[in-house]
Amino acid sequence: MAEYLQPETIAEAAGMIAEHGGELAIMAGGTRAMQFLVPYMPYIMGLRRLGLERVEKSDGEWSLGAAATLTQIQKEVPIAALRDAARQIGAVAIQNVATIGGNLFSHAPYGDAATVLLALDARVSIADGGGERSLSLGDFYADGVDSGALVTGIQFAEPKGEAVYLKCGRKRFNATTVITVAVHVEMDGGNVRAARIALGGASPHPMRCTAAEQALGGGALDAAVIEKAAAAASAASAPASDATASEWYRRRMVGVYVQKALSQLA
Amino acid sequence: MTVKAVQFNVNGRDEAVMARPIETLLSVLRDGLGLTSVKSGCAQGGCGACSVLVDGELRLACITPAEDVAGSEILTLEGLNETNSMAAIQESFVANYAAQCGFCTPGMLVAVTALMESNPKPSRDEIMEALSGNICRCTSYLPIVDAVESAAGELSGQGDD
Repeated sequence: MAEYLQPETIAEAAGMIAEHGGELAIMAGGTRAMQFLVPYMPYIMGLRRLGLERVEKSDGEWSLGAAATLTQIQKEVPIAALRDAARQIGAVAIQNVATIGGNLFSHAPYGDAATVLLALDARVSIADGGGERSLSLGDFYADGVDSGALVTGIQFAEPKGEAVYLKCGRKRFNATTVITVAVHVEMDGGNVRAARIALGGASPHPMRCTAAEQALGGGALDAAVIEKAAAAASAASAPASDATASEWYRRRMVGVYVQKALSQLA
Repeated sequence: MTVKAVQFNVNGRDEAVMARPIETLLSVLRDGLGLTSVKSGCAQGGCGACSVLVDGELRLACITPAEDVAGSEILTLEGLNETNSMAAIQESFVANYAAQCGFCTPGMLVAVTALMESNPKPSRDEIMEALSGNICRCTSYLPIVDAVESAAGELSGQGDD
């Protein structure tokens, strides 16, 4: 049975991480850690007393504390795409404790919040031995973070354009993810000014799909362009086969759902 | 590694229990306090059989460390049994054949309570979403949705008939 450590400051948490190293696991909501880490790790560090639950917006910049729950996100962040993602991760009792920071570490088919956060161009704040720093969510996944790092929060600017999140699952509620898609498109008159397209379940970690973004070009968001972007997203995917869906089916669904999402904005 | 005294209010009574580090609320309620409506189904947060209310919020006791809810008000089905609305929901479960083996039923009833607290007259979709974390291996779910719909109709004073 593990020892349960509950630091009250970031400095105290960093000290515990430094002291116990690989023998310590960090637990936020506990939806994954209680089953996969608690039975095996000598030290579990809980985040409940660190005051990382705040959700704030100032000067057009959203700041989500790493320990803000998915239920809290649905109530406190009026961005439909993010709310839709939070609402489709597990069921209510899970959303009441699962945290936005913890979700970044949940691999497919659970880590769907990151798909939207990538489309919102979010940044991640991290505390490690060297103090606090921030990096883009894309780099967070591409480069990984040291196991001694503690995610303290997520930041992104209020979306300038419109964002859509869609999840492909095998049932309507509390579904295991086949793939997820999030798009954010900023229009200028009838033309695409900027677009971000992100995929979940299409590769080992959530990813931005720049090939699909480039396929949109800077013109009108019409059916032909959407078709090109959907094909590019499908081609850029490298999903896994598992009990939920095959690699082939996932790649097909990436195309279908990118097309659906962009069509909502056309 | 030390055993700690954890105090909370369970079903209206103040309780102090001894809990090992990260001992689950499920273990404390069921094995410590004898509240056997709280079932151990999957024991990993996936089936809803251990659903309880913590300060009015739906939680899964099997993935909740007992010491994390120290000082909270906890309600299990044993405590909810005292209310008239629970009697109506239970009668509706019986009338609609919404229970067969009954193992998932306490968790279902707790989840229904959480739903009706925020949404007294839920639609069928809302009922299905609210119960989507509660697994039943007997009933095919439809009788359960019927039971909740009918109980909600009755409790909000607008029967469906």
